[in-house]
Amino acid sequence: MFRLFISLLLAFFSSSLWAISEYHLEIKDHLFFPSRITIPAGQKVKLIIHNLDETPEEFESFSLNREKVIFAQSQAVIFIGPLKPGEYEFVGEYNPNSARGSVVVILEKAGDGNVD
Amino acid sequence: MNILRLIFILGLSLLGFAEQVWADGNPVDKVYHPRVVANERKFEWRFASRQTSEENVLAQRFAYGQALTEYLIVEAYISGERDETDDYGLQGYELEARYMLTEQGQYWADWGVLVEFEKQHDEGNYEITTGLLFEKEFTHTSLTMNALLVYEWGDSIDKEYETEFRLQYRYRFMPEVQPAIEIYTGEDFVGIGPAFMGVHRYEGIKQLKWELAFISGLNGKGKDHTLRFALEYDF
Repeated sequence: MFRLFISLLLAFFSSSLWAISEYHLEIKDHLFFPSRITIPAGQKVKLIIHNLDETPEEFESFSLNREKVIFAQSQAVIFIGPLKPGEYEFVGEYNPNSARGSVVVILEKAGDGNVD
Repeated sequence: MNILRLIFILGLSLLGFAEQVWADGNPVDKVYHPRVVANERKFEWRFASRQTSEENVLAQRFAYGQALTEYLIVEAYISGERDETDDYGLQGYELEARYMLTEQGQYWADWGVLVEFEKQHDEGNYEITTGLLFEKEFTHTSLTMNALLVYEWGDSIDKEYETEFRLQYRYRFMPEVQPAIEIYTGEDFVGIGPAFMGVHRYEGIKQLKWELAFISGLNGKGKDHTLRFALEYDF
């Protein structure tokens, strides 16, 4: 048991901690703005989602393997990547017909002006 | 960290367990994920049938769970079991808490902890389980591991520490069908077998999750197979 915990702790602390690019999205009237966001391949990024609505929303994506509730008039952070190039769709589970979007992963550095 | 390093770590961990497992009971159960989703409520039914050369033990559990915060979910169980004399009845009660330690994808791996408290129905026997939950993504696959420490005591059982280890390596093929391999270790038991799971989404956040696994014991002299099945309705 001791060996297991030591192994797991080593694995935990061996992760490199470097600056992570931030991308901001808003939820307003049950829609994502922007609904399409471009990020670079092979990098971990931080999505900061601001929910401006009076109701909660749940960011859900099978391809990104993420599920996170963003409370009403609040914000949440979702870490994604490193990802291979491609398009990864996401939905707002409380309003799946309107709250839809995608993360587009490209090889070169993204230049959509949404990077802090 | 590459997958070879992870396999090395996993090998060390399994060796550590193989030296000191002395738990009793069937260690084949759900492999817990560290992720907790806020506002989640669920009903769950688990079924496990263990067939050995000597007996067949059937166990079922019914549960209700609710996320209390965006990091903590609590679940209450009642469990029934058919024993070697074919008597089927209420076996015990259980309260379980699962806490998400890290955000998904924030670190090299995702971490959580599990605490369970169980009481036998008609006897003063108790069991408390604590454990570390681990999950790591590799593109379209996920490796999930549970390292559990169990302490049991009571009127008709000896005080005893036990350890259990559960592993699931899952291919996220499509939401409805995700094949996996599962490995379990416990007292005098090492088991491995295929598993399948999936999720069907209904309106809004309502969804039905299912899991099916067939685990073969590797260390016994005779037959030792466990079929486990779980249904979970989230709403």
